[in-house]
Amino acid sequence: MAKILITRPEHDPLTRHLSYWNSKIIDYAKQKGVNIIDLHKEKANRKEFEGRVRKVDPSLILLNGHGDDSCVAGHDNEKIVETGQNEELLKGRITYAVACSSAKGLGLSCCANQDTAFIGYDEAFILNLDRHCLNNPLKDKRAERFLDPSNRIAFSLLKGHTCQESSENSKNAFKRKIIELLLMGNNDPDALDDAKDLLWNMNHQVCLGNKEKTA
Amino acid sequence: MNKDVSADEEIRRLVLARLKTMSSDTIKCIGEEGSFDRDELIAHVKEGDSIGKTIEQVEMEWLRAFKEGIITELYN
Repeated sequence: MAKILITRPEHDPLTRHLSYWNSKIIDYAKQKGVNIIDLHKEKANRKEFEGRVRKVDPSLILLNGHGDDSCVAGHDNEKIVETGQNEELLKGRITYAVACSSAKGLGLSCCANQDTAFIGYDEAFILNLDRHCLNNPLKDKRAERFLDPSNRIAFSLLKGHTCQESSENSKNAFKRKIIELLLMGNNDPDALDDAKDLLWNMNHQVCLGNKEKTA
Repeated sequence: MNKDVSADEEIRRLVLARLKTMSSDTIKCIGEEGSFDRDELIAHVKEGDSIGKTIEQVEMEWLRAFKEGIITELYN
């Protein structure tokens, strides 16, 4: 049975939306009886992350937060996993990081280990929100266009798919959403803008390392 | 289009025209750069800073995808 560790900082609109939408993954995992460690808000810090990974030994790590080429951050942008510092914590596991550009450096670096997989983004992850839904992220239909395809990765991995299959399932969800938006035409003034940003996210999602690995 | 206008300037004008049609209810989160409303995005594109450049890259990737037949590919 898979063991999952998830980080859900909540200190700005992006992390707050990611956190709420990842609660759907937590609910699904609990339904399946999966052991899930939820590092929520202030608990999404480096000390807690390092301690829990060593103690629980999760097969799947879901990282939500800001990042750059070499790191993924937690609450209040504290770096919780970083190239050359504690990247070995990701080795032998599957990581899905919704964090800008982290696949470029951190992902490549930790996947030097043969039994490691890293799914993430090699450029900025873009998320469009409806300002009227900042306090109700799960009611945000704009955000759903972005976060439903992203969540497909975790759902697919929990269903037993390989990393490659999970990334493909996510990209197919992005494609279906882009087509749906293009068909909306003038019925939705935001459709074209969202379609462009979804294409960007889809094109910059990468699956690195052991693509056949399952959680 | 004026031949004296550089390609970069043409792209910037196109992006600005598109941004002006964006809903004022939109907040665009661009990774660690932050969250921006329409007017802030327009200002960043005019400034030509890293946020503005990212918006231009998104537009260019979209146009390139169309040129390369993204619609056919999406439907397949």
